[in-house]
Amino acid sequence: MDIADQFTHVIKEHKGLIFKVAALYTNNLEDRNDLYQEIVYQLWKSFGSFYGQSKVSTWMYRVALNTAIYHLKQTKRRVDTIPLEVGADRFADEMDRLEEERIQQLYAHIQLLNLLERGIILLYLEGKSYDEIAAIVGITVSNVGTRISRIREKLRTQITKKQAIWN
Amino acid sequence: MELEEMQNAWNSLSHRVERQDALSNKLLANVTQQNYQSKFNKVRYSEFAGTMVCYAGAAYLSVHLTQIEDVFAQVLAALAIGLLLLLPVISLASVRALKSVNISSASYLETIHTFGRQKIRFQKLQKINVCLGLLLMLLTLPVLAAIQGKDLSQVPYFWILIFPLFGLVMTAFAYWVLKSYNKTLHDMENQLTDING
Repeated sequence: MDIADQFTHVIKEHKGLIFKVAALYTNNLEDRNDLYQEIVYQLWKSFGSFYGQSKVSTWMYRVALNTAIYHLKQTKRRVDTIPLEVGADRFADEMDRLEEERIQQLYAHIQLLNLLERGIILLYLEGKSYDEIAAIVGITVSNVGTRISRIREKLRTQITKKQAIWN
Repeated sequence: MELEEMQNAWNSLSHRVERQDALSNKLLANVTQQNYQSKFNKVRYSEFAGTMVCYAGAAYLSVHLTQIEDVFAQVLAALAIGLLLLLPVISLASVRALKSVNISSASYLETIHTFGRQKIRFQKLQKINVCLGLLLMLLTLPVLAAIQGKDLSQVPYFWILIFPLFGLVMTAFAYWVLKSYNKTLHDMENQLTDING
């Protein structure tokens, strides 16, 4: 198997990861596709030098998240934007309304987090261990715990604020 | 929505994502066969066009410099040529700085910091560019008149009304543009402070 075949195999196995990162950092289909392609390209560029130095997913998340940050600059978008209609365009036909609403809510909440928290929450929701989150993000394991607690608190505050507005 | 609820919603999304096929074989083939043009390294047409306009302007003024008889207008022309050569350099340097990043080796936090610092530097350079650009517009007015052999002092109210008014409009425009740059700078600085907190 040559290097292009190996790369194709790895990418196909982790295509969901790329899609989810692209969806988190864009707010329309065109940008999302652009970012998706750019991530694949950046992964290919560094694939030769990666060669199993860390877990494949660690390397992929790192490249994907870093590419996403620079994509914000490329599109001259505000740094705090986030997709609100993610999934709707591709899955609307098959998703039931309730599920879609939950995903909309999920993205609406993530929108209020800063860039670092957004990366951490993505990895947390992906079920990554604190060790792996620390390795990808570049903070200590204990700091991961602290940050997640802070995010939890932030989310609670958001809910309280919303309830206060409705009441 | 609590983290646990978010986790459930995320899992639903993950299941859906795995079933869709956003990754085409064509994209993979393009990427691995070097047919893909990364947007990261692409100099935008506007940047290229801007550079060409500036250099064409500098060339025009240089060619016609000998036609200018008035010493004051000659000094203004020399300044304008200098600015026309300098503006694209500042602009392209600031854009290039934003593109010099190692995506694969830096951690996410390092990338956020690098991006933030570069963005702040970019905004500051753009602010300088806006000010210099407006200064250039003021300078070229008497210079172009001198090249065409027109005496601006013969134009009624030129120096006492038209030129100051033009300067005033330019200053107001600069204020408006810089205000927008300052807001972006402020947002970015806040983001970095928030992240470090």
